[in-house]
Amino acid sequence: MTDETKNAAGGAGEAGGGSVEPSTQTRQSQPPEGVKSAAVSEETLPVHEVKRGNVMVVAEHIMGDLQPVTLELLGAGRLLTEKLGTKLVCALLGYKVGDLPQKLIHYGADIVYVADHPELQVYRTLPYRRVLCDLLESLPEPPHVMLLGSSTTGRDLAPRIAANFETGLTADCTELDIGSYEHKSKLDPSKVGIYPDCLYAIRPSFGESLKARILGPWKNPQMATTRPGVMIPLKPELSRTGEIIVVPVNFKAEDFRLQVEEVIREVASAMKLTEADVIVAGGYGLGAAEGFDLLRQLAACFENSAIGASRKVVDLGWIPYEYQVGQTGKTVRPKLYIACGISGAIQHRVGMSKSGLIIAVNKDADAPIFKFAHHGIVGDINQVVPEMIKQFRKLKSEQGVQSVVHSH
Amino acid sequence: MAGPYEICVLVKQVPDQGSKAGLNPDGTIDRARAKRMLNPFDRYALQAALHAKKSYGGKVTAISMGPPPAVEVLLEALEHGVDRGVLLSDRRLAASDTLATAYALYKTINYCGRFDMIFCGLQTTDGDTAQVGPQIAERLNLPQVTYCEDFSLEDGRVRARRIIEGGCQKVVSELPVLITVANSYHPLEYKSFRGAWKVQWLQRHPEDLQKVISTVDLDAVGADADRCGLKGSPTIVAHTDKVGELGGSCKMYEGHSPEELVAEVLKASSFKEFISAS
Ligand SMILES: Cc1cc2nc3c(=O)[nH]c(=O)nc-3n(C[C@H](O)[C@H](O)[C@H](O)COP(=O)(O)OP(=O)(O)OC[C@H]3O[C@@H](n4cnc5c(N)ncnc54)[C@H](O)[C@@H]3O)c2cc1C
Ligand SMILES: Nc1ncnc2c1ncn2[C@@H]1O[C@H](COP(=O)(O)O)[C@@H](O)[C@H]1O
Repeated sequence: MTDETKNAAGGAGEAGGGSVEPSTQTRQSQPPEGVKSAAVSEETLPVHEVKRGNVMVVAEHIMGDLQPVTLELLGAGRLLTEKLGTKLVCALLGYKVGDLPQKLIHYGADIVYVADHPELQVYRTLPYRRVLCDLLESLPEPPHVMLLGSSTTGRDLAPRIAANFETGLTADCTELDIGSYEHKSKLDPSKVGIYPDCLYAIRPSFGESLKARILGPWKNPQMATTRPGVMIPLKPELSRTGEIIVVPVNFKAEDFRLQVEEVIREVASAMKLTEADVIVAGGYGLGAAEGFDLLRQLAACFENSAIGASRKVVDLGWIPYEYQVGQTGKTVRPKLYIACGISGAIQHRVGMSKSGLIIAVNKDADAPIFKFAHHGIVGDINQVVPEMIKQFRKLKSEQGVQSVVHSH
Repeated sequence: MAGPYEICVLVKQVPDQGSKAGLNPDGTIDRARAKRMLNPFDRYALQAALHAKKSYGGKVTAISMGPPPAVEVLLEALEHGVDRGVLLSDRRLAASDTLATAYALYKTINYCGRFDMIFCGLQTTDGDTAQVGPQIAERLNLPQVTYCEDFSLEDGRVRARRIIEGGCQKVVSELPVLITVANSYHPLEYKSFRGAWKVQWLQRHPEDLQKVISTVDLDAVGADADRCGLKGSPTIVAHTDKVGELGGSCKMYEGHSPEELVAEVLKASSFKEFISAS
């Protein structure tokens, strides 16, 4: 890992990859601040001790393929359960789920609740909502924490569950942690006090260069969604054991007001952004949509490469949304990320800062991207990029191999 | 059931982050000084609502929740052709999270009438959660189509295409339904001349404007104030961290000709290692 931008989630995940060391969850896992400041305040605050519940991950799959975000959430969830001393449970809804429950156990789940029913074959809001709400109600106590991916599915389902149970939900988190919280606002006197073991749901806030820690300790489950690609899954261990519990399915007629007629999976003609080894990304500095032609030439110098973009140029219509990298686009982690004319706003950064090597070209030496890139070229893209293409091509032919970069 | 339809669209006013006005030196936004605009995602929702009206007949009501200046986005919606606007404005709404916001908007929707279709933007640029739409659908006990890219109405049902990871779903839903519109839907068309003229005229005739755009508070819509604002919000922002200066380890290349700059970067050890890894 070359960059310094370790955050708790990434840190958590990284730790999860090898030895599990929850304390690497850095800044957010500082000593319970509630306790610390309670010592200095005159009045002692009541402690709202709650029974620690499990952490639940809602699994996501499309046509039988477990989505990477589910495995990532199991990795993150594991660290939370280690802090809570409780179990990591997973809810899997589908039809003919086969060995998926076992696979979830290999990736860290202690218990997998399985609902297997023909009506659950493809994701649909209302039937999935019904089964999950029934499952939560059937448990002796609600999970402490409930996590979904902030995919199109998670963002569709999570708010329905949260609204049904009137509990808090934080969207698009980039870090998760468990910690204590001291609530002092007297607006609602019954809430004042210390809450140990809250979910810290951390996300970049608004358009500001701030990260917000969002809490909802008053009610369980404390819910959050996290962006795909942010958390890191555990290594699957075939020896890991767990329990598989089949849950009943009871639909109502109103659950079928919407029908899915067809699911179309696009044949990826272009290289998928999230799988590319090299991403050449363009921003507003390109000046016009045509600027991407130049970037395509640069990308063509590498094998397994793709084009990315900042949101500004997507909003301007220079390039379609699927190319957007960042908080509201894709999270990517290529080996090489070349940012051309991108200022490096926090919302862009959270989507790409974990790239292996970041090279930025920007004519403004003070651009924020130079705060976290590894190599920064101060110059005009219209001059620098053609020069890059020229020299890369030369290098390529000198090396006598087909590609300058390809996968290890 | 066929048209005419009762159509609702939810629009929010957000700070204009493209403008430097109201930007504090530390990067936070001074909302009082910041320029305001219609949430960009809601432009697609507005287009969808107007498309439904134009193609199938009906009336469009735009609803917004926010401080008094938010009336501007309702006027803008009027210029584009919506029929009426309702602004929910109340001090007790301050610091509402998505659950409390969705509750207040749900009460406002019920106050405004019964709708066949409710359109929301996919998300806002300030709240940025994409939660409010589905949370309203839950309160109203409606089916929902999120990430909608296109839709049509047939035999009183809506046929829609929604984005999913790596593809799309084609769905058919009964009415009423709540739809959140993706930004791959058609962009908002220009204001109509008639709409713009009408708004100009209304602004000179406040008593008529009041008939088209009304402002209501929590009591008027019958919302329980304890379920709104800070009190009614299950989440709070407990702490903010300024995203620290990172690394500072960026190796900078400047001042030379582009040719030399690129050659230097190529020479830099870590980059060379990286390329020779092939
Ligand atoms: C809620 C929210 C979510 C967001 N989500 C995302 C997201 O997912 N992804 C994302 O990218 N953004 C996102 N943004 C937007 C983000 O805040 C920035 O506005 C955006 O990333 C800026 O895009 P940019 O860098 O292309 O443009 P700018 O900030 O305008 O930067 C252009 C850069 O190009 C440089 N430049 C200009 N001309 C040249 C030249 N000829 N040669 C070299 N350099 C040149 C300039 O110096 C400047 O640094 C989001 C914003 C909000 C509020
Ligand atoms: N204060 C508000 N007033 C009107 N509509 C809103 C408001 N907040 C959210 N919405 C609607 O809900 C969508 C999603 O918002 P959010 O959950 O904040 O990302 C927006 O695009 C709007 O359509």
